[in-house]
Amino acid sequence: MTFAERMLHIDRRIIFLVIGVCTLLPLLYPVGLAIKVSPEVRGVHDYIESLPEGSVFLLSMDFDPASKPELQPQAVALLRHAFKKNLRVIGMTLWVTGTGLADLVVSQAAQEMGKVNGKDYVFLGWSPGVGSLIITMGQDLYKAFPSDYNNQPTRELAVLKGIQTLRDVNYVVSLAAGTAGIESWYVYGKDKYKFELGGGCTGVIAPGLYPLLRSGQINGLIGGLRGAAEYETLIGQKGRAVAGMDAQSATHVAIIMLVILCNVFYLLIRTSRGQSGQPRG
Amino acid sequence: MIFLRRQLPLLITFVAGVVFAAQYYVPHPTSELMLTEVTKWLQIISGFALVLGVTSLFQIHAVKIRRKEPGWAYSLILYSGILGTIAAGFSYSFTAGQWVNGKETINGIVTAFGWIYSDMMVPLQGTMFAILAFFIASAAYRSFRARSREAALLLIAAIIVMMGRVPLGEMLLPVSGDVTQWILNVLNAAVRRAILIGISLGAVALSLKIIFGMERAYLGGGKD
Amino acid sequence: MPFETLLGAWVATGLTLFIFTFLYQDNPLFKLAEHLYVGVSVGYTIVKVYDTVIVRLLYEPMVNQGDWSLLVPLGIGMLMLARYFPKIAWLSRIAFAFIVGVGSGLAIPRIISSYILKQVEDTVRPLASLASGGGPTFTYNLLDPASNLNALVLLIGVVSVLFYFFFSIEHTGPVRVAARTGILFLMIAFGAAFGYTVMARMSLLIGRFTDLIEFADPRYGRATLWLLLATVATLIASGARRRDHLPGGG
Repeated sequence: MTFAERMLHIDRRIIFLVIGVCTLLPLLYPVGLAIKVSPEVRGVHDYIESLPEGSVFLLSMDFDPASKPELQPQAVALLRHAFKKNLRVIGMTLWVTGTGLADLVVSQAAQEMGKVNGKDYVFLGWSPGVGSLIITMGQDLYKAFPSDYNNQPTRELAVLKGIQTLRDVNYVVSLAAGTAGIESWYVYGKDKYKFELGGGCTGVIAPGLYPLLRSGQINGLIGGLRGAAEYETLIGQKGRAVAGMDAQSATHVAIIMLVILCNVFYLLIRTSRGQSGQPRG
Repeated sequence: MIFLRRQLPLLITFVAGVVFAAQYYVPHPTSELMLTEVTKWLQIISGFALVLGVTSLFQIHAVKIRRKEPGWAYSLILYSGILGTIAAGFSYSFTAGQWVNGKETINGIVTAFGWIYSDMMVPLQGTMFAILAFFIASAAYRSFRARSREAALLLIAAIIVMMGRVPLGEMLLPVSGDVTQWILNVLNAAVRRAILIGISLGAVALSLKIIFGMERAYLGGGKD
Repeated sequence: MPFETLLGAWVATGLTLFIFTFLYQDNPLFKLAEHLYVGVSVGYTIVKVYDTVIVRLLYEPMVNQGDWSLLVPLGIGMLMLARYFPKIAWLSRIAFAFIVGVGSGLAIPRIISSYILKQVEDTVRPLASLASGGGPTFTYNLLDPASNLNALVLLIGVVSVLFYFFFSIEHTGPVRVAARTGILFLMIAFGAAFGYTVMARMSLLIGRFTDLIEFADPRYGRATLWLLLATVATLIASGARRRDHLPGGG
């Protein structure tokens, strides 16, 4: 086998090692390159910034632990921003396995900002149904969630005073790891109940949501860990997302190098076969 | 009897489908009330459906344990995982002084159920998906070849986007950030829009076929 | 540090490393972690569904607030469980028929409105304004997604991709031109999707590594380092044992 062929058939564990090192080193020795903010992320930030005190902000953390590294920093940054603006925060999730995570995120952010459960925020938890849940919330919030996650009757909570349905919510942001997320919130929610909708999502589904962004169906989109880093930069509170950006840079450059190398070796093999006039091996 | 087995379900699908499709265009308070009630029912029934999905898992692994097939010890671990978590979920928490009832924390105190969630489920699920990073790198190295003009175009677009989405990439190649934004907001948006419209038309067509009884695969269960 | 937190850190780190061992080769540690993952996820889902559906959505409203209309969804839900008894399995069809009927009925008008009408409207609207009052105000800033030039590019993209996917007509002549343009747009979009997928996967790995680094701290008894040593030792030992059992010896 030629050098190029041997390189193309290299043990994949060496590639794993390269990726592992490229991820680990920048995390241990961060550099802190500047992060440019995109208009999509600014859309969500500026809308929350424009909301008057006491406005109702619903954050739906529609993800499970698999997407925690990308979406939890987004949730933390959004909650910090919302609590700083003294908005009334409603937390919930459409994914059953994400309930514990969502509860933890909301409680920790609230504790950090000195907010009181029932008065400044409420965590409703999970309820089955996705589309049917959103419609039920749009028709009557208290029928969808008769009690919050701590079994307190929702009708008696100060934070939900004056809110009967989703029409009374000023801004909904869905942090989505799949279809049961932003798309469901639009189709079963905003389409009929006309609240303002923003989104955060994993990198995998982000490109698919751009049509909704372009048409104004969502007013902003926070894409992946990079989006979370941009949001943290905007609110001036750097967290896990910004800390991960250097490792992200290193791994991207590593993958690009690998792809370029793969094509170089492939080209070498093709030209050598072309020259000899016969396929080798 | 045949009517009950075969025609009744199709009739129910038809009536339910037509009524609720029409409901969208009827803003009368009675229609809205009906929507509220029935979507609440649908929620409850979806909950039952969720449980259905997991029972087949029980059966497969129960058979493995009973027949002592190779790897049956792992099935035992799976069962202990299920039963242990359920037991923790319905246990009594002595530190919090009340029944857990499926709560991860009670007044800030972490329950055993919450411990299992944060210290077993979250790391396990997180890592299962994190190892994909290694596989995508290995796959990219072995197979991402510019075999044709279209493949080369895909490659170039991928490289520009990968550069444009990281600070180092924007520093090394300043134009990559703007080009990435253009690719995403215009070219990608156009393609995804076309795909979205196409898929939605297909989904609507399938839903109509289901309502009119032309598509019956969803029924399943029992002899016809 | 409370004992449960310390124990939790060690268990979390151990399970994370067990799954990472799959990168070296499939082994009992990985299989153990994998089966445990499925078990715990299923157990969690069952607990949550029981607490939410049976207790909070059915029992409490029925008993505390006297909402007996909930017997209807309870009945339909129970019908679904008839699937497990072959003699009465056909009853479950009624439940499925109800869910699918209502679900389809709810979805159709909403999908038409959200994804078809709204998306087509947004593709065409910028051009309608161009046609009526455009001319000297034609904007061609490529960096502004809302500019007229980009609106034209967007329209060409949408139409050409739709043409590409229209397989019921032959791709010859002008249709072929449209379809080939569509393919070019598709390739660029797939390239962008690949780039984003790489970004997402790397972010997940970064998240796990961040946790492992945190648990390597002396506060947690350097859990990561000790467990890494233990895992590697186990892998080497089991690898050596497997070689010894092969015919011809190690």
